[in-house]
Amino acid sequence: MADETREGSAISRRALLRTAGAAGAAALLPGPVVAATEGGARVAAPGGVEPTAVPLLPPAAAPAGPLMNLTAHETEILAAIVDRLIPSDDLGPGALDAGALRFIDRALSEADSGQAEAYRSGLAALDRYSRYTRGAPFVELSARDQDSVLIDCQIGSATGAGVGFDGSSAGFFNMVKSHTWQGTFGDPQYGGNVNFVGWDLIRYPGLRMRVTDEDQRRLEAEELEPVRRSAYDFGQFQAGGASADDPSASGSDGGRS
Amino acid sequence: MRALTTAVLAAWLGAAHSAAQEPRTFVVESPAMSTGEMMPRDYSPDGRNVSPPLAWRGLPEGTRQLAVICQDHGAGNPPPWVHWIVYNIPATATGLPEGIPFDPADPMPAGLEGAAQGSNGWGLSMYRGPAPPAGTVHHYDFAVFALDAELDLPPGLTRAELLASIEGHVIGQGNMVPLYRRQPADAAP
Repeated sequence: MADETREGSAISRRALLRTAGAAGAAALLPGPVVAATEGGARVAAPGGVEPTAVPLLPPAAAPAGPLMNLTAHETEILAAIVDRLIPSDDLGPGALDAGALRFIDRALSEADSGQAEAYRSGLAALDRYSRYTRGAPFVELSARDQDSVLIDCQIGSATGAGVGFDGSSAGFFNMVKSHTWQGTFGDPQYGGNVNFVGWDLIRYPGLRMRVTDEDQRRLEAEELEPVRRSAYDFGQFQAGGASADDPSASGSDGGRS
Repeated sequence: MRALTTAVLAAWLGAAHSAAQEPRTFVVESPAMSTGEMMPRDYSPDGRNVSPPLAWRGLPEGTRQLAVICQDHGAGNPPPWVHWIVYNIPATATGLPEGIPFDPADPMPAGLEGAAQGSNGWGLSMYRGPAPPAGTVHHYDFAVFALDAELDLPPGLTRAELLASIEGHVIGQGNMVPLYRRQPADAAP
């Protein structure tokens, strides 16, 4: 019975996306609100002071190059997992396009550095599990078999397969899933959600300091122009004074805003 | 008039007797496993974790639809722990092929159109095979129910919801109960 317990309700890839849209972003995003204008944003200071215009973020690309905390092989496996959790498909760009991989690497260098070993051992165990149960490395499996492997990890059934999971396979799955969500739907300041593809994916209207009746009407009519700005583009939020490209930019909270 | 009354009464009594009868037993089997034998690891998370092939024969006359539950009466709180539920299975089906799709977007195999999967113990509408505690042997009851009605049940029903939905419609039942013990990689020869 040890493995046959409810280790969190399981999710399909599509269900994950639906759930992320409903709750994931809300949990990850700070609450400031901005009223967008065509050429920039107008920021309302707390207390209803007249908003100040600030420049829009330039478009960014998902950074390329090797990761700092994982080997090339580990990176390949992690990329395959992240790509199955939130794939690029007809709904739009996925977690890889959002830079979730780079976000995870950065988190492992900063606030979540204590999880680097859990990533290394978990990725190795998942790959051994794929070879033992499906006869091939994870990256060589079909998308369906990759999903099946991930489901077994998620519900904890892979734990007892003797492939080296340190604790429950569900713990490893949930760690990667949480980071993938954060790297896709979190504030771009922390290195993910490149070009706001995560917010576009879930049609998040963006950060707003003030919502007028007209904003609300346009939102409900699906006519509201989304605001695509980081919270740290507004004067009242501080991120250590560094840019988004600076690994030290996220300060000590590592993206847990 | 008396003869007609007698005939009607006899017919009514006959129908009442039929409805009150215990469900008739029929045969449930599989080319991959059998009752009392260890099931191959391909039908568990030590293997591909695909649903096993099932076959049935000797269905009672009047069978209009079938439903399948795979359950472990020795696990769960309260028991049983449910591994798989399939229903809305046409009576023309003689079994289920291996590997019923776990993604609801994938179509059911030919001949099983309209069949749906219910919610297992993990809350998933799919087959997930046995994962008993290390070193223990558990029994996995593949219970097949013959129904006297074509029920158009929605996908995702729990075991309790399915049993409530088919109550009064079960005219036959067959069971196959293979065993499983985990076969971890670090113990493989």
